[in-house]
Amino acid sequence: MCSRCRDVARAALLALALGALGCEREERRFQPEPRGAAEPVFARVSPLVPGPPEPAPAGPNPYGGNAWGIGEGQRLFTWFNCNGCHANGGGGMGPPLMDAGWIYGGRPEQIYASIAQGRPNGMPAFGTRVPAEQIWQLVAYVRSLSANVPKDARPGRPDAMQTDAPPTIRDPREPLRERGPTP
Amino acid sequence: MLASQGPHAESTAGIAWLLFAGGTAIFAGVLAAIWLAARGPAGARDVLAREGMVLAMGLGLPVATLSGLLVHSLRTNAAIAPRDPPALAIEVQGEQWWWRVHYLDDQGRPVFATANEIRIPVGRSVELLLRSGDVIHSFWVPQLAGKLDMIPGRTNRLRIQADRPGVFRGQCAEYCGGAHAMMAFHVVAEPPAEFEAWLQRQREPAAPPRDAEAARGRDVFLANGCGLCHHVAGTGAMGRFGPDLTHVGGRLHLVSGWLPNQRGSIAGWIASAQHVKPQNRMPSFTQIAGADLRALAAWLEGLE
Amino acid sequence: MQFLLRRRTLRTLALAAALAACGDAQREGAGAAPPDTPGVTPPAAPALRGVVAPAADAPQDGQWRMASRDYAGSRFAAQDEIRNENVSGLREAWSFSTGVVRGHEAAPLVVGSTLYVVAPFPNTLYALDLAQPGAPMKWRYDPPVEPAAQGVACCDVVNRGAAFDDGAVFYATLDGQAVAVEADTGEERWRTQLGDVNKGETITMAPIVVKGKLLVGNSGGELGVRGWLQALDVRTGAVVWRAFSTGPDADVRIGPDFRPHYESERGRDLGVTTWPPDAWRIGGGNVWGWLTYDPELDLVYHGTGNPGPWNPDQRPGDNKWTSAIFARRPDDGRAIWAYQWTPHDEHDYDGINESLVLDLPWNGAVRKVLVHPERNGYVYVLDRATGEVLAADAFAPVTGSTGVDLVTGRLQVVPEKKTGTGKLVREICPAAPGAKDWSPAAFSPRTGLVYMPVNNLCMDFEGMEVSYIAGTPYVGANVRMYAGPGGHRGELAAWDPVARRAVWRIQERFPVWSGVVATGGDLVFYGTMDGWFKAVDARSGELRWSHQTGSGIIGQPISYRGPDGKQYVAVLSGVGGWAGAVVAAQLDVRDPTAALGFVNAMQDLPRHTTRGGALHVFALP
Repeated sequence: MCSRCRDVARAALLALALGALGCEREERRFQPEPRGAAEPVFARVSPLVPGPPEPAPAGPNPYGGNAWGIGEGQRLFTWFNCNGCHANGGGGMGPPLMDAGWIYGGRPEQIYASIAQGRPNGMPAFGTRVPAEQIWQLVAYVRSLSANVPKDARPGRPDAMQTDAPPTIRDPREPLRERGPTP
Repeated sequence: MLASQGPHAESTAGIAWLLFAGGTAIFAGVLAAIWLAARGPAGARDVLAREGMVLAMGLGLPVATLSGLLVHSLRTNAAIAPRDPPALAIEVQGEQWWWRVHYLDDQGRPVFATANEIRIPVGRSVELLLRSGDVIHSFWVPQLAGKLDMIPGRTNRLRIQADRPGVFRGQCAEYCGGAHAMMAFHVVAEPPAEFEAWLQRQREPAAPPRDAEAARGRDVFLANGCGLCHHVAGTGAMGRFGPDLTHVGGRLHLVSGWLPNQRGSIAGWIASAQHVKPQNRMPSFTQIAGADLRALAAWLEGLE
Repeated sequence: MQFLLRRRTLRTLALAAALAACGDAQREGAGAAPPDTPGVTPPAAPALRGVVAPAADAPQDGQWRMASRDYAGSRFAAQDEIRNENVSGLREAWSFSTGVVRGHEAAPLVVGSTLYVVAPFPNTLYALDLAQPGAPMKWRYDPPVEPAAQGVACCDVVNRGAAFDDGAVFYATLDGQAVAVEADTGEERWRTQLGDVNKGETITMAPIVVKGKLLVGNSGGELGVRGWLQALDVRTGAVVWRAFSTGPDADVRIGPDFRPHYESERGRDLGVTTWPPDAWRIGGGNVWGWLTYDPELDLVYHGTGNPGPWNPDQRPGDNKWTSAIFARRPDDGRAIWAYQWTPHDEHDYDGINESLVLDLPWNGAVRKVLVHPERNGYVYVLDRATGEVLAADAFAPVTGSTGVDLVTGRLQVVPEKKTGTGKLVREICPAAPGAKDWSPAAFSPRTGLVYMPVNNLCMDFEGMEVSYIAGTPYVGANVRMYAGPGGHRGELAAWDPVARRAVWRIQERFPVWSGVVATGGDLVFYGTMDGWFKAVDARSGELRWSHQTGSGIIGQPISYRGPDGKQYVAVLSGVGGWAGAVVAAQLDVRDPTAALGFVNAMQDLPRHTTRGGALHVFALP
C-alpha cells in the first residue's frame, strides 16, 4: 500500500471516528419508549440511610450528555413557565438552579422527582402533565445550568437576554443615553 | 396545481408564461444561430460574424428584452399592489413546523386563532400579515400568489384573492429545520355567506362535549397537560406554543395539512406524533391508554 | 413631545450633574436645586399648607390601629417628645425576633397597652404586652397556612400588616385567607378562605375596616390572577360584596352612578372590550396595595395592579381596569369613579400605591384631593370627588412617558420605549418596580410635605411569548434593572404637593423599600436596605440619628405612646421583598434576570446585609 494511500485511509478513519462522536452528541430520539421504562422507581432525597452503608444507586439520565436533549429542555423550560420562577437559573419566586445548592438533591433522578412529584413549599407537580421524555430533557437542561453536564453538550449561549453587557451601575458623570429600541 | 385561481396569481402566472415562452424562443434562436455558425452556409456565417450583428444580438437584444420585461413586471406589480383597503386582514405566523393564523378585527387586534388552514371569502381581496415566530419561513400558495418570506422581527404583507371556491394547498418554501418538508397548509375559499357563518362559529368558545365519551376525552385532555401548549377556549387550556384547538374538528386536515382530519388519525397522531412527523414539537403521548385515547380523539373531532 | 422629552432629559441631567458635584455628600441640602425647578428654593410659605382631611384623620391618642395609622394614610404621629434637639439620645428600648428570615414589610399595631405584629409566611400574629418591661408575649396566633403558597408569591412571602377594629385584629394570610383574632385572648373569631393558591392567588396587603366591613384584595399580577377587592362582615367573616378589576361591568360593580371624569373611562363593559377575547379573565389588576377612605364623601380609594402578562403584545387594548384607581362606596362596592394611571401598561407599573386623603390649598381655594405618588414616576393630585387629575409631576427620571395630558387624562407614552415580543428595549425609566413601589409615604401637616421613598432604577426589557398555565408565572419578559442617573438606587424625597416639587432629597445606595413615619417633633423616620434606621429633620432632611438594626429594613415604622406615657418608635427589620429577594431567598447574582430582573440592580446587597426578622423599638432614655 502506498504511503499516500495510508495517509488517506488514516484521515478517513479519523474523520469517521470524529463523525461518530458527533453523532452520539447529537443523537435524536423522537418516538419514546412506552412510559414506565424510563421512570425512576424512587429518588432518595436524604443522604442519610439507616443501617449499614450501601452504595448510592446510579440514577438514569437519558439526556445527560446529549446536546439535542438539553436544547429541547431549554425550550421547554420557557414553554412550561419554569423561567417564571427560576429565571434563567438565578431564581426568583423559586430557588436558583445555577448555584451549587440543592434543596431536594441535584442528582438526575432527584431533579426528575422534584419536577414530576413537586415539592411542598411551592414547586408544582408536573408529572401528570408532561411526558417523561420531556421531564428528562428538563432534567438535563437544569443540570446544565450548574455545569453538571459535559461541556460539549451544553448550550453555547442562553436563549434569554444576552448578559454580556456589564450591569450598568453608571458613572454619575455619564449622561443617560436616549436610544431607540434595539431589534 | 399550477393553475392560477385568483387575480394576483393570474398576473404572476402571466409573467411566468411570458418568461417561459420568451426564454424558449430565445433558446431556440440561439440554437439556430449556433447551427448556422457551425454548419450553415458561408453567407449566413458571414452575416453572423459581422460586428453590427454581434452588437445587436449581444447587447441590443438583451437590453431591449430586459427593459421590456422590467417595464412589464413593474406594471404588473403596480396592478397587483392593493389600491383599496382589504376586505379582511389575517395574520399568519410561521412556526417550527406549522402555521399560526390569527383573524384580526378592524383595529388589527386578534379576534380568534386557528392553525394550518386559512379560510377566505371568494372574490374578496384579503391581506395576509406574514410573520415568523422563530426562523425564516416562506409562505407559498402557488394557485393564489407568489412566494413571500416570513422573517423574524418583520411583517411582510401579501394580498390574496380566490375567484372560485376551492381548497388550495400551500407549503413552506424556505428550509426551516427538521420537519420543514411536512409544513404544509391549505387556503379554503368559500362563498361569502358561508364564510361569514364560519367566522361567527370561530368566535365562539369550544362546544360542550356531545356525550359521555367526549366529556371523558376533555378530561383526558386536561389531565394530561395538553393545555400547557394548546388553547381550547372555554376549557381553561390556554397554552400558546402549540396550535389553537378550539375548533380543530372543523378543519379539513391535521398535522399542518398532512393527514385527513378523522378520529383515527387524531388518535394516531397523539400516540405517535414523532413517528408521523419526526422532530416536530409535539411529543408522542404513549402513556394515554387506548380507551382514553379514543375518547380524546372523539372529543377533539367534535370541536367544530 | 420630542422637545418636552428633551427638556425633561436635560433637567434630569442637570440633577445628575448637581448630584455628581456633591461627591460623597449623602444629602442634597435644602438650598440645593430640586430636579424640577433648577434655581433657588423659595422659603416655605406656611399659609399654603395642606392638611389631612379632618374626616379621614384618626385621633392623635398615641395608638396605631391600622397600617397607615388613619383612613387618610397620613402616617403622622403628633407626639413631639422626640425632637430634632434630643433625637441623638434615642436608644433601643427592646426588640423582638419574629423567627422568620424572609422580608418583613409589615407595620406593627398598637392598641391600648398591646403591640400586635404579623410576621411573613407562615403569618404568625404576636401580641406583646407593652405594660411590662421588655414587652413579653401575651399570646400568639398561628393560622393554618398552606406552605405551597410560597411558590406562587411573586415577590417574597411578605405581609404588610393588620387592622384593629371592634375588639379584633384582622389580617390576611399568604394563602388567601382573611382572619379575625380576638385582640384580648388571641382566639380566632373567624377565618374565611378568599383566594385559591392553585390559581396563583395570594394576599399580602394590609386590609382596612370601614363601616363594619373588612376590605381585602388579592395579589398575583405576575401569575395571571384576576384582581378583586372583597368586603367581609367583621362580625362573621361572611363576604358582603366582591368587586373585580376586570371583566363585565356587573363584576366590576359599575352601575348607573358610575361617573368617571374622563371620556376614555366611559362606556359599557370596558373591562371586557379593552382586552382580546378572554384575556381579561387572566389579566391581573390585583388590589394588593393601599386603601384609603374619606368618610365625608363615603368613598374608599384603591389602586389596581399591572395587567398580565407583562408582555403587552398578548393583550392589545387599554386593559381596563388595570393600573388604575377606583373610588367605591364601602356599603356595596359600587364604583363611583375610576381613572387609569397607565392604560395598556407596558412596564409593570402597578397603580396600587397609597392615595393620601388631603385637603390642599389649590388656586386660591381649598380642594379635597388625593395625593398619589405613582409607580410610573408622577405625583398625581386628583380631585377625590370626581377623579379629575389636577396635577401630575415627575418626581424621578422618566423616559417611558413625557407627562400626563390634563385634558384627556392620558399618560403620554414615548413610542420608542414601547415593549413587545422579541424586542429588547433599553433604558426604560422608571424600572418595573416604579419610581416608587408599595413602600408608603407619610404626610406631615406641620410641614405640608409628603415624605416618599423613591427608587432610582431603570431597566432593559425584552418581551417574549408566554402561555397561561394556571398556578405558574404569567410574565413573558426578561428584564434587567440597574441604577438610574446618578448611580444611587434610592432616595427619600420630601415633596411639596402644593408647590408641586421636591423640597429636599436624600440619596441612598439602595432603593428605599421601607415605609416612612413623620412625627410632631418634626422628624421623619425611615429605614434602608442595608439595615440603618434613620431619623432626619422633616424640614431640611438633615440626618439627626441613625441606628444599625442588623438586617435591611423594608418594614413600615410607626410611632406610638406607651402605657408609661413615653413616645416610642418601632420598626421591623428583616430584609427581603422584591428588592431584597437576592438576600432573603438567596438568589444567584450571576443571572441578571433573576427576581424579574431586580437581582441585577442588587448584586452587592448580599455583601451589605443578611436576613433575619426582628422588631426594634426605640425611646429616649
